Amino acid sequence: MHEVVVAQQIVEAVVDTSLRHGGRRVRVARMVLGELACIDPETLTFAFMVACRGTCAESCLLEIRRLPLVLRCRECGAEGQRAGPVEPCSVCGAIGGDVLQGREIRLTTIDVDDAGEACGKEAGIEAIMSGGGLPSRFRA
Amino acid sequence: MIELTIERGLLDDNDRAAQVNRDRFRKAGVYVLNLMSGPGAGKTTLLEQTAQRLRDRLRMGVIVGDIQTSRDADRIGRHGVPVHQINTGGGCHLDARMLEAALDAMDPASLDLLIVENVGNLVCPAEFDLGEHDKAMVLSVTEGADKPAKYPLMFCQSRLMILGKVDLLPYLDFDCDAAIADARALNPGLEVLRLSSKTGEGLEAWTDWLVGRWRAVREGR
Ligand SMILES: Nc1nc2c(ncn2[C@@H]2O[C@H](COP(=O)(O)OP(=O)(O)OP(=O)(O)O)[C@@H](O)[C@H]2O)c(=O)[nH]1
Ligand SMILES: [Mg+2]
Ligand SMILES: [Zn+2]
Repeated sequence: MHEVVVAQQIVEAVVDTSLRHGGRRVRVARMVLGELACIDPETLTFAFMVACRGTCAESCLLEIRRLPLVLRCRECGAEGQRAGPVEPCSVCGAIGGDVLQGREIRLTTIDVDDAGEACGKEAGIEAIMSGGGLPSRFRA
Repeated sequence: MIELTIERGLLDDNDRAAQVNRDRFRKAGVYVLNLMSGPGAGKTTLLEQTAQRLRDRLRMGVIVGDIQTSRDADRIGRHGVPVHQINTGGGCHLDARMLEAALDAMDPASLDLLIVENVGNLVCPAEFDLGEHDKAMVLSVTEGADKPAKYPLMFCQSRLMILGKVDLLPYLDFDCDAAIADARALNPGLEVLRLSSKTGEGLEAWTDWLVGRWRAVREGR
């Protein structure tokens, strides 16, 4: 539901990483997104595209890898994928369990150009802080 | 093309600000509760009742977050406790930096108990650590008993679930036991209180719970 905020945080981290390594243009940003994270990938992709404008990550591709929900049963300890957080254990039938995987909202890597002109500061944090392409009500 | 590893978590900034708030709360000796729910579950009404019942026992303050308006702060302020409104201007939750800014308007050291009413939203507020001691949530019986299964995160993160508006149970087919069972499947240690801000049923157990948590935190338990 807060895809716009998450998109802005992604752009900040992506731009920050690029600037630490020379500020070259970012082509791909990769992230993992758990099934249980309350984030819609399509909305996030759109918000990301908008939030990137004016930065060194403008028009880069956001690759989202979905991670299925994995629970550990509290009764028998069996670990496995489940369709939902209160689905029964396939071994003993107990409801629910501890979440081992599924809440992730995490960036992993980015691809940046290895040649070409480095983007200046104006394509970095300043562009994000001035709002980039975000509607004014979402600006810091 | 060069592949670079991202070394920064998306919530790092928030978590840093939350830690600043946490240190501040500890120094001030105030117990802080983050109260969450879907829109209209009855947080403000409950806090109005809470202010009336607790203001002579504890020094209580409220910070309330809404997308727009200061209506909730006005309502709570009528009951004689200090209150500060945060407007997120579109944001669907409070984050630690918003709370940090609000603390300049309300000195935590002048309080025993600070309740933060989060933006009405059953999803997003649970993702953001504010530096509070506990999270509590209201599930009103008009929302349906399937909410823990459908919107699990908040139920996972809360210490206490309040089943609210129980005065309406006779008119609904809300299955309290099923809702509680699903919520505890997500979070086995979850405490549960049933109450109605309309009839007053269960309000004493709620204020006792607050006083008990305040005492436990003060004594470092
Ligand atoms: N019957 C009944 N109605 C209640 C109770 N508590 C609150 N209400 C009503 O529910 C509506 C919403 O209550 P609020 O206290 O404003 O809810 P809220 O959670 O603060 O709402 P937001 O801040 O907008 O998310 C109001 O019309 C209240 O009068 C209750 O215990 N019983
Ligand atoms: Mg309210
Ligand atoms: Zn099992």
